[in-house]
Amino acid sequence: MAGLTFSPEIRGQFSAIARVRWQLFINSMRTIRGRMEIVARGFTFLAFGMAGIVGSIGIGFAAWYFIYSGKVDWLPVLLWPVFLFWQLVPVMASAFTENVDSSNLLRFPLSFPSYFLIRIAYGSLDPSTVMGSLWLLGMTVGIAFASPVLFLSAAPVLLLFAVFNILLARMLFTWAERWLARRKSREILGVLFLFMVIGFQFIGPLVRHYGNRSHQPAVSRVFAEGLPIERLLPPGLAGQTIAHSLHGEYASALGSFALLCGYALVVLWLLNLRLRAQYRGENLSEALARTAAPAAAARQQIRLGWSIPGVPGAVSAVLEKEIHYLSRSGPTLFTLVMPVVVLLIFRLSPGKSDGAGGLLGHAADLAFPLGAAYTLLILTNLVYNSFGADAAGVQFYFVSPVRFREILLGKNLTHSLVLVVEMVLVWVGASLMYRPPPWEILLATVTGVFFALVVNLTAGNLFSVYTPKKIDLGALGRQRASQVTALVSLGIQAAVLGLCALAILLARAFHHIWLAAIIFVALAAVAIVIYFLVLKRIDAIALQRREAMIAELCRA
Amino acid sequence: MNASAPIAAPAIATEHLTRRFGDLIAVQDVNLRVAPGQFFGFLGPNGAGKSTTIKMLTGLLAPSSGRMQILGIDLTQDSVEVKRQIGVVPEGMALFGRLTGSEYLNFVGRMYGLDRVTAAKRTAELLDFMQLVDQPKALVTDYSHGMQKKLALAAAVIHGPKILFLDEPFEGVDAIASNTLKSMLQNMIARGATIFLTSHVLEIVERLCSHVAIIHRGQLVAQGSLEELRAGVEAQAAAALNAAGAPHEIDSSGPAPGEKLTLEQIFLRIVGGTRRADQELSWLG
Repeated sequence: MAGLTFSPEIRGQFSAIARVRWQLFINSMRTIRGRMEIVARGFTFLAFGMAGIVGSIGIGFAAWYFIYSGKVDWLPVLLWPVFLFWQLVPVMASAFTENVDSSNLLRFPLSFPSYFLIRIAYGSLDPSTVMGSLWLLGMTVGIAFASPVLFLSAAPVLLLFAVFNILLARMLFTWAERWLARRKSREILGVLFLFMVIGFQFIGPLVRHYGNRSHQPAVSRVFAEGLPIERLLPPGLAGQTIAHSLHGEYASALGSFALLCGYALVVLWLLNLRLRAQYRGENLSEALARTAAPAAAARQQIRLGWSIPGVPGAVSAVLEKEIHYLSRSGPTLFTLVMPVVVLLIFRLSPGKSDGAGGLLGHAADLAFPLGAAYTLLILTNLVYNSFGADAAGVQFYFVSPVRFREILLGKNLTHSLVLVVEMVLVWVGASLMYRPPPWEILLATVTGVFFALVVNLTAGNLFSVYTPKKIDLGALGRQRASQVTALVSLGIQAAVLGLCALAILLARAFHHIWLAAIIFVALAAVAIVIYFLVLKRIDAIALQRREAMIAELCRA
Repeated sequence: MNASAPIAAPAIATEHLTRRFGDLIAVQDVNLRVAPGQFFGFLGPNGAGKSTTIKMLTGLLAPSSGRMQILGIDLTQDSVEVKRQIGVVPEGMALFGRLTGSEYLNFVGRMYGLDRVTAAKRTAELLDFMQLVDQPKALVTDYSHGMQKKLALAAAVIHGPKILFLDEPFEGVDAIASNTLKSMLQNMIARGATIFLTSHVLEIVERLCSHVAIIHRGQLVAQGSLEELRAGVEAQAAAALNAAGAPHEIDSSGPAPGEKLTLEQIFLRIVGGTRRADQELSWLG
């Protein structure tokens, strides 16, 4: 980095990069969709900013309390979460997005120091960096309030800790870039992230479980054995340096500080090593991974397509294709296990009185209807945007000699099949975790869901043609249907729910829940007639909407 | 330019085909006639209306006015029957990214009404022919651009279409695959199929196509066999020469003495796209 000088050429390059990013931002607002995207991003940034500020105040207060009450050794308790958040979030977030292709910059006559600085600067406004910096700032202020003298030694330590985190995050990212350049890797990471999110739901029950007196000796033993190791790691070292300073153990403080510097230097060296390799032309971008040399040639065994008795060939071909799509979409599979997971979370959560039976302890019979309703809700995204995942493939439907009604029939069949499998899983889950639902509730739920399914498929088919939105089933985040569809589908769910509630109230008034099932069957019969009327008209509607559909779904 | 001699049942025929996008007229009054068995090249500069025309002919775009007939069937009247007879590689390739190559071809075959055994058999043959068997488990989205193009072509022919519409089929395809594709297309022509293709690579069009049409600013400006186009351009040049009485400046797009005009030269003369490079960008090294 010694050769870093800000010559007019370097300044020109930096300002050109800043200007082009600004121009990209301005140009993205040319369309309504782009403007909405910016507003959504603004809200996200605001939310992260608020979390950063609120967290900063909280951490600052905690730091003040630890110093004020003589518990300075507890500072790593604050530093570890900051460290983990700073390092885990950027890598996990990369599962949601395509990576910046650094080779684009290498076309230009950039010096290595300039390239290095630009790569560091690219991540400087990441939510994790902004929030992590704010939290450390809050901590510094908290320490300064508790002990103004300690501020002089704490500020450089926390600054070094922040620099270390920035460098480590960039280093991890650049080393993981090759792996992350592969679509499959990003998808695996995305699913891991989602499982981590689910995992958070179980923290409460687990803490309660291991917080029992019977488990305390084991927990204490783990802590006692882990503490010496923790003190040698960066968050522990930063905390130790401040603690040693407070106790006047300056030699130890300097030692810890030097070790922390050592960590930062090692990370800097590793980052430098990787960026130099990239600078020399080792391309780690998405494009290279896609054109990587094929694996050893293997003759593929061609298997026959599915044949479903009584189902036309084209419809079963669409069904087969849809099942392949769903089975390869980690995020979708994840959402499909959610109903059972939610029942489990409810089961593990404390009940109102003794905690037995969890949140549904007093209404165990409702576990199956609630799980079924939730299943239907999570299917909405797929049903109301049936062509979203097909993207440019939608052109094939328009050039093939198959009517749209058959294509939609195949897609509807898939969604119905998924719902049936889900309902069975929810029934098994509810029966094991609570108790099997009584037959009249089972009957009312199944018929109610059937009615709701037909309504949703009818509306979904229309909205899939009128307001399609391109989605990537393999990616996470922003994979929702269009705003219009989302609003209308919400209204339809509310109407269906209202009708179902009315039917159940009526049945309860007569003290026969099975009466609701009869009402649902009658409603479903009307819905089926409307479904087929819509299906009959769908070819004409699709032809009329083909240009808008192709334009939206073939969008790059 | 003379139009081809009238044929009783043309493979492709359009009458006053027009497409407007708001105020912009992308295609205006196009009257095309492609005889069965012709290898037909549809040329034009960028933005001339080639893709819009091919989209209308394949049912991806509705015309604002005019008529289209494919093998004597009105496309707007019986589009399903027309689609059974044609194969298409559209601009966006129409691939399903999250299927493997074999799954995609199998799916396409069955959508065209092939039985399961035939679809599977042709899938295997096409993957082998297109040299796409090396990555049986790779998803289409992970294919390179050239591999995707080959797969799109395989999908367009799996049902044995009578007419094949190809929008820039050789773009991004390597020389080996390009050669294989050319021989496949020529074999199709030999067996009586009709091929309608757009391409910017005029050398390929000249080598493959027997007939050509040129569209410029939405209007058809030339149509006929290569010889007819060549004769027309030469006649026009001779007429201009006679009218002026003396040769103008030397035209770099002209043929060497004793040589025939190439398709590129014909195209440039018709579209008028020559530019004197020596007068511009003088700062270039």
